[in-house]
Amino acid sequence: MTPSEPLKLLNKVQAINWNRIQDDKDVEVWNRLVNNFWLPEKVPLSNDVQSWATLTPAEQTLTMRVFTGLTLLDTIQGTVGAVSLIPDSLTPHEEAVYTNIAFMESVHAKSYSSIFSTLSNTKDIDEAFRWSTENPNLQKKASIVLDYYHGDEPLKRKVASTLLESFLFYSGFYLPMYWSSRAKLTNTADLIRLIIRDEAVHGYYIGYKFQRGLELVDQAKRDEIKDYTFSLMYDLYENEVQYTQDLYDEVGLTEDVKKFLHYNANKALMNLGYEPMFPKSVTDVNPAILSALSPNADENHDFFSGSGSSYVIGKAVNTEDEDWDF
Amino acid sequence: MEATLIDAPTAAPALDYHSLNAMLNLYDENGLIQFDKDKEAAKQYFLQHVNQNTVFFHNLKERLDYLVEKEYYEKEVLDQYSFEFIQQLNDLAYSKKFRFDTFLGAFKYYTSYTLKTFDGKRYLERFEDRVVMTALGLAQGDETLATNLVEEIIGGRFQPATPTFLNTGKAQRGELVSCFLLRIEDNMESIARGINSALQLSKRGGGVALLLSNIREAGAPIKQIENQSSGIIPVMKLLEDSFSYANQLGARQGAGAVYLSAHHPDIMKFLDTKRENADEKIRIKTLSLGVVVPDITFELAKNDEDMYLFSPYDVEKVYGLPFGDISVTEKYREMVDDPRIRKTKIKAREFFQTLAEIQFESGYPYIMYEDTVNKANPIKGRINMSNLCSEILQVNTPTTYNEDLSYAAIGKDISCNLGSLNIALTMDSPDFGRTVETAIRGLTSVSNQSHIASVRSIEDGNDKSHAIGLGQMNLHGYLARERVFYGSEEGVDFTNIYFYTVLFHALRASNQIAIERSERFDGFEDSTYASGEFFDKYTDVAWEPATARVAGLFADSGIHIPTQSDWLELKASIQQHGIYNQNLQAVPPTGSISYINNSTSSIHPVASKIEIRKEGKIGRVYYPAPFLTNDNLEYYDDAYEIGAEKIIDTYAAATQHVDQGLSLTLFFKDTATTRDINKAQIYAWRKGIKTIYYIRLRQLALEGTEIDGCVSCML
Repeated sequence: MTPSEPLKLLNKVQAINWNRIQDDKDVEVWNRLVNNFWLPEKVPLSNDVQSWATLTPAEQTLTMRVFTGLTLLDTIQGTVGAVSLIPDSLTPHEEAVYTNIAFMESVHAKSYSSIFSTLSNTKDIDEAFRWSTENPNLQKKASIVLDYYHGDEPLKRKVASTLLESFLFYSGFYLPMYWSSRAKLTNTADLIRLIIRDEAVHGYYIGYKFQRGLELVDQAKRDEIKDYTFSLMYDLYENEVQYTQDLYDEVGLTEDVKKFLHYNANKALMNLGYEPMFPKSVTDVNPAILSALSPNADENHDFFSGSGSSYVIGKAVNTEDEDWDF
Repeated sequence: MEATLIDAPTAAPALDYHSLNAMLNLYDENGLIQFDKDKEAAKQYFLQHVNQNTVFFHNLKERLDYLVEKEYYEKEVLDQYSFEFIQQLNDLAYSKKFRFDTFLGAFKYYTSYTLKTFDGKRYLERFEDRVVMTALGLAQGDETLATNLVEEIIGGRFQPATPTFLNTGKAQRGELVSCFLLRIEDNMESIARGINSALQLSKRGGGVALLLSNIREAGAPIKQIENQSSGIIPVMKLLEDSFSYANQLGARQGAGAVYLSAHHPDIMKFLDTKRENADEKIRIKTLSLGVVVPDITFELAKNDEDMYLFSPYDVEKVYGLPFGDISVTEKYREMVDDPRIRKTKIKAREFFQTLAEIQFESGYPYIMYEDTVNKANPIKGRINMSNLCSEILQVNTPTTYNEDLSYAAIGKDISCNLGSLNIALTMDSPDFGRTVETAIRGLTSVSNQSHIASVRSIEDGNDKSHAIGLGQMNLHGYLARERVFYGSEEGVDFTNIYFYTVLFHALRASNQIAIERSERFDGFEDSTYASGEFFDKYTDVAWEPATARVAGLFADSGIHIPTQSDWLELKASIQQHGIYNQNLQAVPPTGSISYINNSTSSIHPVASKIEIRKEGKIGRVYYPAPFLTNDNLEYYDDAYEIGAEKIIDTYAAATQHVDQGLSLTLFFKDTATTRDINKAQIYAWRKGIKTIYYIRLRQLALEGTEIDGCVSCML
């Protein structure tokens, strides 16, 4: 944000009363996000060190670049994206949810650094970050999204945010899912699954709020927003294809990743309440990736090789005398 | 969501085996599970990968000569037999036309078990070859036993545990034993020896559990100077790092567990090491935790009282016994009143609630119900800990050291080798008794062949006890095949009679070995087997099926259910000749071997109709429940739906016939609270359950975020 721009902050704040809920979805999502709280330290990433060594140099470089790309997106979402949605909130509880989202995005951004520092060395890490600052397609993607966050259209901000959460991340998420189906970097995949678990909820929630917001405007505006959404999606898609080629051409996975992009583009549009853009014939994602994508925490993991991605913070309830009646 | 649903894409032809396998988790256009895709995946795995990467030999002779010469096979194993016999055994194995039922079974076998060239690139064994080599190794020259072992293993009735099946007959290998349990005493020599042993045993394979209850708490005096000890957390850190360092030739990560008494002053710190927001200095990531809970703790919680935690340092000074060797239940009031013993207190119910909170966040700790375990123990001595999978329950004694770190007196520590019967196929066995006996003989051979010289307390313990652990798996698979619901009256009735019958044959086999060798385990004379007390519950009342369905299942299988007079006869023979094995049964969680064997794990319900299995070595793979078809789905309710109570009822029925423990995982949906977990723990304790293994949680995707058409997502 340049200093000349006025700082957008809420002018009026009321004490938030969680006993007066206007939208049950706020509570449902808040609870889910709180239960899903995690920190990267819980995942024994160092168990992947041996597996990392089995990747070819090209595969290692690819993996590093993918993660720096994801770091950039999470940084945007944590420091600008989720925060920029706060002033447009329809309910005070929605504001609270965005603060949680913003924080977890920063946790995600930091997680990638945990992966880097565990698997790689300073020189390669710096090189990967340099690549991410120099790659025009990645930078373009960031600047498109940032522009909309800085614009003054609340609904458009939500569109940009949903497309980021539900679409733009996934060219990156493809790779750890691919590795884990090949028994590589499985602990890293556990960590990424925790991120996917969060992003799935974020994209869904922001899309949901978008749809509520859309109900408050007239038909002309709705048509305008829809046109806007599809043209933004198209721009992002064009760029994303370029970016995917930059990343994946060398290991020959580009075609497969593109199908995955189509699938997730449709999913993002669905979160916004729109029809899919890509026909079924080009969304036939590799079943190994699709099956791994489920945000359900239902992997039956082997405790001795990882911590899994299914544990949550439990609800503490006191036992009563009747429970101890023996 | 009002938006259009996106159908799961249909796959193009010519898929690789991973993709075909993953299609198990996606419904076809008619909403059916695509079992054929998994069969196709298994087939393609052989065509695309295994067959192309298997070294070809013209005949058995050429193969064995090559493998011995290149130091892949142990020559000593083969030299115990004539070549003609080995050829005959080989032909027998291949005549059974073995095929893997699932992709995961084949994938797991070739990834983790089969013999590979030293560069790891090509396969030197097929499944039949591994079975023959295992049988030859375990039979130690006994042709009849070798033949029986091939029959039982290739027939899928008996499956040795991973270390045995993986290693037997290989020249470059780890130990055949599955797991080890070590005491640590309250002195630096013992702590250091514990760490050294953890390294040595991890290097050779198998999980290691260590007892921390005896170690003085943080702030306890050293040489009478107050506030000197750092307690148990730094010891845990040292152990965790040791296990990460040592692994068996990269075959599996070293894995360890530590057990602590609920009444140890560091208990809350111990639990907090698994908190989601634990500080990095105290966070424990890969070490498993277990808590030893005596009956008194439940009594205190019932009365909503404080529970006192006692300084092990003081307790040992007062009683002259390590804290772990004291029955807290028995001495509780006495220790509370004794001013010489330093103590702190916490609320008993808060302790249980914290336990449940940590289980929610991490799945840990395991629980051992100390008094239940000791009451059921037929052997003289005290049981104060369990192992990495919470199914081994044996007595131990302390080791003492001289100043130069040599042994002053070698105590008794614990090792156990395991193997499991496939319940469904054992019920189909042409000779039920022979199946059990062959398994017992195979396991006994592992004990006889194990000499862990680097940890003398383990070596001596094994030589004296010949302890083994016969396990069971595929209970849910069997029940579903027979269209009986897991946890139903008939399901529990079957479990009871099955375990009852297995126990009889296990004791009979061990008695037979004692007669043949004129040798019994050390301490038999002090056991309730010798006194006869053990048999009272079988000779005093008749054990019979309570339901017609279960009586029918046994009758149809032609399996004789032992009667009171059978027991009287066996009792007499055991009192006269003894038994060879100090311990006979222990039901492990059976992860890997149940996939190879096409079983449901242990005696649990399935985790899912199509299980998503994730391991470091194999990645994310999909596994269909055994005998599952699109027509019998209703018998495959998963563990989360079945709920804690029915699982506990089933385990309780089995527990009464098992001398050691059974790994019991409890499954909860994320809607559960800590109170639900506490209630299940109380229920398990009341039903006589000995140990609880993991708590597993399943959180479903928020509605609107799930993947459509995915089998494991639908309920």
